[in-house]
Amino acid sequence: MTLGKILGWGCVLISLAGIALDLADLDLPRGYGWLLLGWGVAAASYAVVRGHMVAYVTKRLLEAAFVVFMIATLTFVLLRFLPGGPFDAEKALPPEIKANIEAKYGLDKPLGEQYLDYLMGLARGDLGESYKYIGRPVADIIAETLPVSFQLGVYSLLLAFLVGIPIGVLAASRHNSVVDNALMIFAISGVALPSFIVGPLLVMVFSFGIPFSALTGLLPPALWESPVYYIMPVITLGLRPAAIIARLTRSSMLEVIQADFVRTARAKGVAWPVILYKHVLKNSLIPVLTISGPLVAGILSGSFIVEIVFGIPGMGKHLVQSVTNRDYPLILGMTLVFSTMLVIANLIVDLLYTVVDPRIKLG
Amino acid sequence: MGRKLYVFVRSAVLFAVLLVFAVACTRGGKDIEVDLPSGEKAVLKYNETLRIMISSEPPSLDWHRATDTTSNLITVNLMEGLAEYDLSDKDLKLIPALAEKWEASDNARKWKITVRQDVVWSDGVPFTVQHVVDGWKRLLSKETASEYAYFLFGIKNAKAFNEGKKSWDEVGVKISGPNELTVELEKSMSYFPYLLTHHSTYPIRLDVVEKGGDRWTEPGNIVTLGPFTLKVWQHDRLIVLERNEKYYGQKPQIKHIAAYMIQEQATAINLFDSGKLDSVHDLPSVELRRLRQRKEFRETSRLSIYYYGFNVAKPPLDNPLVRKAIAMAIDRQQIVQMLAGGQLPLTGWIPAGMFGYEANRGVTFDPEKARELLKQAGYGPGTKLPKLEIRFNTNEDHQRIAENIQAQLKQNLGIEVELKNEEWKVYLNSLKSKTQQIFRLGWQADYPDPDNFMSVMLSYSENNHTNWKNAKYDELVNKAAGTLDRDERLRLYSEAQKILVEDDVPVVPLYSTVKHVLINPRVENYPLNVMEVFSYKGVRLKD
Repeated sequence: MTLGKILGWGCVLISLAGIALDLADLDLPRGYGWLLLGWGVAAASYAVVRGHMVAYVTKRLLEAAFVVFMIATLTFVLLRFLPGGPFDAEKALPPEIKANIEAKYGLDKPLGEQYLDYLMGLARGDLGESYKYIGRPVADIIAETLPVSFQLGVYSLLLAFLVGIPIGVLAASRHNSVVDNALMIFAISGVALPSFIVGPLLVMVFSFGIPFSALTGLLPPALWESPVYYIMPVITLGLRPAAIIARLTRSSMLEVIQADFVRTARAKGVAWPVILYKHVLKNSLIPVLTISGPLVAGILSGSFIVEIVFGIPGMGKHLVQSVTNRDYPLILGMTLVFSTMLVIANLIVDLLYTVVDPRIKLG
Repeated sequence: MGRKLYVFVRSAVLFAVLLVFAVACTRGGKDIEVDLPSGEKAVLKYNETLRIMISSEPPSLDWHRATDTTSNLITVNLMEGLAEYDLSDKDLKLIPALAEKWEASDNARKWKITVRQDVVWSDGVPFTVQHVVDGWKRLLSKETASEYAYFLFGIKNAKAFNEGKKSWDEVGVKISGPNELTVELEKSMSYFPYLLTHHSTYPIRLDVVEKGGDRWTEPGNIVTLGPFTLKVWQHDRLIVLERNEKYYGQKPQIKHIAAYMIQEQATAINLFDSGKLDSVHDLPSVELRRLRQRKEFRETSRLSIYYYGFNVAKPPLDNPLVRKAIAMAIDRQQIVQMLAGGQLPLTGWIPAGMFGYEANRGVTFDPEKARELLKQAGYGPGTKLPKLEIRFNTNEDHQRIAENIQAQLKQNLGIEVELKNEEWKVYLNSLKSKTQQIFRLGWQADYPDPDNFMSVMLSYSENNHTNWKNAKYDELVNKAAGTLDRDERLRLYSEAQKILVEDDVPVVPLYSTVKHVLINPRVENYPLNVMEVFSYKGVRLKD
């Protein structure tokens, strides 16, 4: 066994162990999270070094830092063009009080100076204090809510990939059969049904037992306290990506199945499941990988609707409400987190291309 | 094949059974288990815990800096002011709390307040009059940058101190005895004791604030003296309050309050229905017809009004006849019926339930006379009134009301009205820049005195978005504020209201609002009152 394989399987095993621990509600996930992160970084670095991609990754990381910096700058400037300020409220403030508040938050300084102050803060790792949640550091808000969104997101993604890909494979292998049609009807409804419909529908059935009264009280309708609370939000959030992945996998598989090498393999007498899973699937994953980047970043940073419907204390809510509140530091913090995750997810996807398709060379 | 299928079905069934079993096992009893900041776990017993919802994470538990109702709901249970409302009294009579008594002199320009000596903070330190002065100084000082600093601007030189122009020694607050405070005001203020109920005037322990820094309001740091103490604050999730065994008054019967942060009312109703919440506030208006049928449904009027305003600088609304015609062409009853929330139609500016309310004040619905007025203003069949615009902030209810008024004005006056909605902060910005023609807003009482409503429309008020200025109105309202004699005050307010809603009509009051809640029948003495003071110290739970 090569070192790469050991590292890869190690990561998978640790992930599974971590999920088991998390679900068992032991207070280990935080430590485990760091461990996993360590393994992940180690494995990625190994792959990068082995694949002679050090220069490439370094370049990409520098680019990423620049992109994130540009996003922060643009957001900072654009925010000031939004009509209405953070301290406008139904009951208007007397001018002298408004002046005190603006002085306290440095909003009375010239914009350029405010921007420099912000950058200096960022360089120190200080994201500032929220205006709405008075005195609460933005970093604290992220530290408290992101893990919840992350937890919800990881399970939803697991569901999406573990259900989506097999469904796609199954549908493609039984092309135009009843099974294919049934699965695709499921997939299309999954794409079409918005989560604010799916969520309440699940609650209706599994919490209030309508119309199957035997199910009354099976699952709690909201909150985020133990694994049993995770089930419905995870299904609600994971359904749509699962459907998207299923459809993509299917169409991509159908294309690859036509390829010459598949015919050759069949002629050689290779077993059909082996052809399907080992050769066709692997070559069909490129489009799935492509959409995975934005999908992963989007889901991990929290879904406003799912968090609201199920009363989950995640970050998605702040992502939306900070804008409504014109809470500049919080908006900037949220934007930074989201863009960093997006950039990193895209980088990982690009690296994975080389694994799935050895013909792809990076750099 | 058959055998394979059998094996598959058998394992699937087994898996399903196990899943249901696992789920069933994790469904505990009705007690709540919470993680304490110390890392230990605590159990809140079902029959000792009131479980409520708050609509968001409280923006701040620092009572001098918080401005919103959610934070207030928590702090009102943690702290107490010098005075408080008697929640058992329908008229919310003012009663002493931390103060023993107060008396006015010099025609309500000087107040002497005596504080209790038997009060201790939750850490055992005795409460003194110095803590009150510290609190007021902190509220007013420039560095605190409190939005509610203006609450005490009535005190002599307080405003100048807030602007940094005068020192604290020059402010009209003096300790005049071991437990006595003398307050000198800028002008006569008959309603001054009402301000002492407000969270912005609560006392403070500066040593606690200093020690805790930005995190002084976290459990373990915060020191309070009200009926409850802060036990747990899981941000964005849950707040747990615990009975304060050192509380000087009658100790609450309930031991804990668990306040879940649930933004969506539908979600809160689901939790209520599954027995996890004891009350739900602010029910969605579109569901009222259905929820009204339930035995847990309660409603209470509020000291809060919903009104339409005219920008009197914009023709044709600069003509009082046009404004009056529009006010007269709106049937408030129809709007209230559409909303189905039990709101009370309102033609005057002071809401029902408040001193100064006059049922017959203002213009009433009379389409015939409205058309007559419009004709007098020079708009008849020949010269049509130009198209008007109603602006409101994006919200389902505001939309429904605007559409209703649009239809009524079309039908009763033949006026074309365009509707324009804007996102809340954009809307506030347009109000400030006075680009609107007709706009919607509301006003909710900070203290149950007509001054709180009447001063909104003063010519120099930041909350008057109409461009309307009337020197006589200003004079009457200011005079009334300094008058102690109730009959005289009533007369002054009546005259001022007449100018506002009958003669000049810069505003059209539509209705006073109602709060709708669901309350679990096991909860007794739930605090429902016009001021929305959710002080839970009197709540009892039935077994």
